[in-house]
Amino acid sequence: MSKNYAMTAVARDRAGKGIARALRREGRIPAVIYGDSKEPLNISLISNDANVEYNRGQMFTTLCDLDVDGDKHLVLARDVQLHPVTDNVLHIDFLRVTPKTKIVVDVPVQLINEDQSPGLEEKGILNVVRYTVELRCSATAIPDYIEADLAGKEQGDSVNISDAKLPEGVTPVIDDRDFTLATIMTPRKLEELEPVEGEEGAEGEEGAEGEGAEGAEGEGAEGGEGEKAEGGDE
Amino acid sequence: MLAPKKFKHRKQHKGRIHGNAKGGSSLAFGAYGLKALTPNRVTARQIEAARRAITRHLRRQGKVWIRIFPDVPVTSKPLEVRQGKGKGSPEYWAARVKPGRIMFELDGCSPEMAREALALAAMKLPVKTKFVSRVGMDQEAA
Repeated sequence: MSKNYAMTAVARDRAGKGIARALRREGRIPAVIYGDSKEPLNISLISNDANVEYNRGQMFTTLCDLDVDGDKHLVLARDVQLHPVTDNVLHIDFLRVTPKTKIVVDVPVQLINEDQSPGLEEKGILNVVRYTVELRCSATAIPDYIEADLAGKEQGDSVNISDAKLPEGVTPVIDDRDFTLATIMTPRKLEELEPVEGEEGAEGEEGAEGEGAEGAEGEGAEGGEGEKAEGGDE
Repeated sequence: MLAPKKFKHRKQHKGRIHGNAKGGSSLAFGAYGLKALTPNRVTARQIEAARRAITRHLRRQGKVWIRIFPDVPVTSKPLEVRQGKGKGSPEYWAARVKPGRIMFELDGCSPEMAREALALAAMKLPVKTKFVSRVGMDQEAA
């Protein structure tokens, strides 16, 4: 559990897209606080602060001491709306929490000891199946991440939730099976890859092998059709 | 090259690309991606060229996902033909790409390698692009 971050906010009395857009023009973003059996509270935050905190990558697993016009709220970010092109934060949902609150939260998975995996040493590909795992825990004891060990894993092996170390009081939401977090795949066409690596000139000839051959045939066939069409018009 | 297996109509209206992407604007499979910043039609041939540039740079080690599909038939008239006499014949397939759309995703490689591979892919595409990664992954790499 990392240290709480602090933000300041201002309450807003109006809701809707008009005021939301007006706020965004002024460099602020709309947000809402709800939960703990209290009335929802519409607020606005400084856009830059929200973006910095979001891009730090721990917004959904770290509690926030939110200061709304002098009132302190202990909250957890539950949802963030992003602009599709710029990826700037447009709106944030905050959940009021207390030390008694039990929540389900997506916690990032960190795969460790990649250099101690024989499968990855032999050019295996690490295929991450789940970047986050849904965990049930107390709101004040959310783990920053869970660690899964890759040591000793061969190609074709998988790392499951049972391989991860979960802190006390933390349980996965999916508890009926030992689900996969990552697998180590065999690279495609390993035999063909080796000669390509050996000689630099081989890259240009790559089109002649495997998938490249299909494309070459297709292009040739289309070119032929084009010529026929042109001939017909004359 | 990518193309639909079957289709309802051989020819479609040209259409226009308005607005930003409504979905497909965040990473779903890989750790790194290539996001479109301008609207355009991306042809099946351009998608294939970009895919080939990525796999060649990664030496077939990483995993690549293509998040767009060319489902729009584009027609053209033969050369030196007068206007009229009906619509031309279907020539190729294209995907309509709106700003914000993630076109390619990558995983199983270093961030530097992904950035280089996607820069090569971007050169094959008719849209301006930017490199995106999962939140917090760039900081870890640095």
